Amino acid sequence: MPPSTDLLQGTLDLLILQTLIPGPMHGWGVAQRIQQVSREVLQIGQGSLYPALHRLEYKGWIRADWGSSENNRRAKFYSLTVAGRKQLETELESWKRLSSAIGLVLGQEASA
Amino acid sequence: MMREWLTRLRHFLRQSWLKRGGESELDEEIRFHVEHATEAKMAAGMTPVEARRQALIEFGGVERAREQCHEQRPGWWMGTVGQDARYALRGFWRNPVFTVTAIATLALGIGATTAVFSVVDRILFRSLPYAHDDRLVSLGLVQSLEKQEFMLGGFFYEWRDNQRPFEAMASQGTMLHGCDLIEANPAQLNCIHAQAGFLPLLGISPLLGRNFLPEEDQPNGPRVALISYGLWQDHYNRDANILNRQIDLDGSPVRVIGVLPKGFELPTLQAPDVMLPTAFNEGLERKANPGTPMRAFARLRPGVNITQAKAELEPLFAQTRDTLIPPPIRKDFHLSVRSLRDRETQDVQLTAWILLGSVLAVLLIACANVAGLMMARDEARERELAVRSALGASRGRLIRQSLTEAVLLSLAGAAAGMALAEGLLRIFLAVAPTGIPFLNRAGLDLRIALFTILLSLVCGAFFGLLPALHIPRTVALTAHGAKFRKRTMLRRSLVVGQIAISMVLLAGAALLLKSFANMEQQRLGIDTQGVLTARIALPGFRYNTAEKKMAFYLEAETALRRLPGIRAVSFSDSLPPGGWHDDRRYSELAVAGKPHPAQGIGGSVICRGVTPDYFRALNIPIVRGRNFNDEERNSSAYLVVLSRLLAARLFPGEDPIGQRMQTGHDGPWYTVVGVAENAKNGGLTEQDEPEVYELRRNLIQDWGGRAQAGEGISAAAPVAIIAADLPSTTVAPWIRAQIAQLDSTVPVKIETMSQQVSKLADRPRFETALLGFFAFCGLLIAMIGLYGVIAFVAAQRTQEIGVRMALGATRLDILRLIAGEGVRLILLGGVLGLVAALAGAQLLKSLLYNVGPRDPAMYAAATLLLAVVALAATLIPARAAMKVEPMAALRCE
Repeated sequence: MPPSTDLLQGTLDLLILQTLIPGPMHGWGVAQRIQQVSREVLQIGQGSLYPALHRLEYKGWIRADWGSSENNRRAKFYSLTVAGRKQLETELESWKRLSSAIGLVLGQEASA
Repeated sequence: MMREWLTRLRHFLRQSWLKRGGESELDEEIRFHVEHATEAKMAAGMTPVEARRQALIEFGGVERAREQCHEQRPGWWMGTVGQDARYALRGFWRNPVFTVTAIATLALGIGATTAVFSVVDRILFRSLPYAHDDRLVSLGLVQSLEKQEFMLGGFFYEWRDNQRPFEAMASQGTMLHGCDLIEANPAQLNCIHAQAGFLPLLGISPLLGRNFLPEEDQPNGPRVALISYGLWQDHYNRDANILNRQIDLDGSPVRVIGVLPKGFELPTLQAPDVMLPTAFNEGLERKANPGTPMRAFARLRPGVNITQAKAELEPLFAQTRDTLIPPPIRKDFHLSVRSLRDRETQDVQLTAWILLGSVLAVLLIACANVAGLMMARDEARERELAVRSALGASRGRLIRQSLTEAVLLSLAGAAAGMALAEGLLRIFLAVAPTGIPFLNRAGLDLRIALFTILLSLVCGAFFGLLPALHIPRTVALTAHGAKFRKRTMLRRSLVVGQIAISMVLLAGAALLLKSFANMEQQRLGIDTQGVLTARIALPGFRYNTAEKKMAFYLEAETALRRLPGIRAVSFSDSLPPGGWHDDRRYSELAVAGKPHPAQGIGGSVICRGVTPDYFRALNIPIVRGRNFNDEERNSSAYLVVLSRLLAARLFPGEDPIGQRMQTGHDGPWYTVVGVAENAKNGGLTEQDEPEVYELRRNLIQDWGGRAQAGEGISAAAPVAIIAADLPSTTVAPWIRAQIAQLDSTVPVKIETMSQQVSKLADRPRFETALLGFFAFCGLLIAMIGLYGVIAFVAAQRTQEIGVRMALGATRLDILRLIAGEGVRLILLGGVLGLVAALAGAQLLKSLLYNVGPRDPAMYAAATLLLAVVALAATLIPARAAMKVEPMAALRCE
């Protein structure tokens, strides 16, 4: 397993929202998906995943419904709300700004 | 935003109704997650047991995650407040000694602060009952004989027309004057004159009817009046038809056009019964020199402050002064502009701040004590905290718990404090002097209650957070050592602070006490024993000529002389040693055959018009020449007796007897017949002033009749001074009966001379009693704190004491060890306090009489008292430590 990277403050929310774009997903699924998509670089501290999910739910960005999982078990599925989509857009926007800014700084540092 | 709140509300409701359901949903979710993880690991080839173990490790603390999820809920902490409160209450119940001590200490601190705040609030903070009260100013002239600014007609109109800093300017009469309501049910009332612009300036509109119209504020305009709410209520039974009613005031008809609002007070803090238009003749006033005196007020334009306004007014002032005031006394006049609040309360503001400061100091000591108590309790609960911490309580949660306890304690303290404040306030009112404005209206209202609650919350935060900050991040079950030392450090600094504050309070109280004692023990120069004063208020409408007045007073004198046991009966226009008296400028005095004294210097001279018995009644010896005699009363000779001080000044090295002098410009020439010993006459704390006694003859001009220009005796109603050999309680009813025989409707106010003198000392007595009480409370609480710390330190070191004794330390060594701890705290606190007291003592200066603000004797006394009490508080626990059995001490723990 490659060494995991610590998540920047606040990026966990962004990752969760982004992960939920394709459709409803349960907590385990979200964790697995983030890990897979990031090629095992990003490992979600699973203990902190659930507080984050709950926080987003209380903010009204995601919605939770009980449904049955792939192997017919009762599970809580999270899906994006309209507010959540909007929030994702603004967060992506600011993330892009931030990362390009960091890129600029690092690029200059390298060329200097 | 709205949506977010709706979501929150939904979750909050769900959380409240389905509390348990919500928790188990989370459990189910976590279980689902862990099972999936386990399955994944089993698929990767682990044994079921190992897979589950790994899955749980990967997940981290399940309990922690659950807690964190819970904490995401909006308002989740509200649930814990109730929990914390229940927990705190159980703790208080288990430890009643702690609880009662803490609440009692807080109640004392908060109660005293509330009581004092309710008194000083109106003086310092509460807005005045006028619109734009922060922009209202009192303005006018001041001079050596009148320190409260006044205005003269000639100045007023010039300024009103040419000033820039004010939106509006208006004036009222200089003082309330008696006026008589003549009807079937007559009454003596207080009237005031005011300009038409006066009420609008203050933002006051009448409750009924209207304000004066400009044409009513003209000479010979329609005669109209506004009456007070009290008069309307008590005299006219709230008659709805009061408007336009004609009433007879001092014999002329006046039409009532309005009723003033309830509780209306003039900016001079007087409540008039009737307000009449000033009806100045503007043209005459402008030309008059210097014009009618009045009190003027103005409203600053927005954005202009008082300093700017004064600066802008200065040229105008200088110009009018130079045209209207004659050169000799011109230099004595100055411009004064100050805020209305200062006009009303300036002379008590310092007292108010000092009282508030000292009571807050007591509160601080009390809070520090409770903080110490809480810390001691936390140390005793070390294990309990450790267990809670181990069970997953975060540091924040423990701090919250501590704060909850503190707030509960301080709210209980506030409730008890309110009850105490009510009692204290009654005591204040009973002992308070009359000169403190608003005091009679001080009470515990909603504003004060809010203040108290706020105060208790601040206190709670102070003594709750202080110990809580010392709850370490993790509390180990075996917690001991360094942390303890750190905490006792904090407790020690609290005690040092308490001692220092007590020292400051004690020093202040000692100074005031000394000053008060000086005041009480000084020689007044008059004898108050067995002397009574009677003020007889003759209703002006029946005694409408000076002849009638004089006849009444002379008859009264004869009647009083007939009473048994009376040594002397005299009339004077004013009384020593303080209060109102007629003043002259020293420079107005002239001596025949001598150059006039230089103008504008010399201060003032007190002028009293007395009948011959005055000196006998008050036992003032005549040191030279002789007293007036009764034949001279019937003559028309102008005679004076000088005080020794004045005689020495006017006639240095000469015999004053037989000299001729004037007491005012163009006044009659008086002959000096005697010199009387000095008597205290400028108030208890002021320097004695030179004094001239004029003979009050049996002529109407000496009893309020029309006097020639510059002639002596003031028209003020004379007061009778009666010296009796019998107790005043016996004589007073006789005096009343004698006056009633002459005219049963005349009100008589009888007081003993000692009461009058004592009244002058009311303010200092009040200040001294209060500060003394606060110093006592502060000292008491601080000493309890000191005792607590030393006892605690001794208990902590029991084992060490055992070891020391086993190694050969004597009991005296142990005493020295523990007491040394206390002595260090006392020394440090005492020195800090002394430095602070010496630095701040200058503040007290104006309240002190005949004692410097850095009087070494008083500081020594305060220090000694503190040292003795503090040593006692140290020695008690130290002695207990000394008596510890070495074997028991070694086995301790």
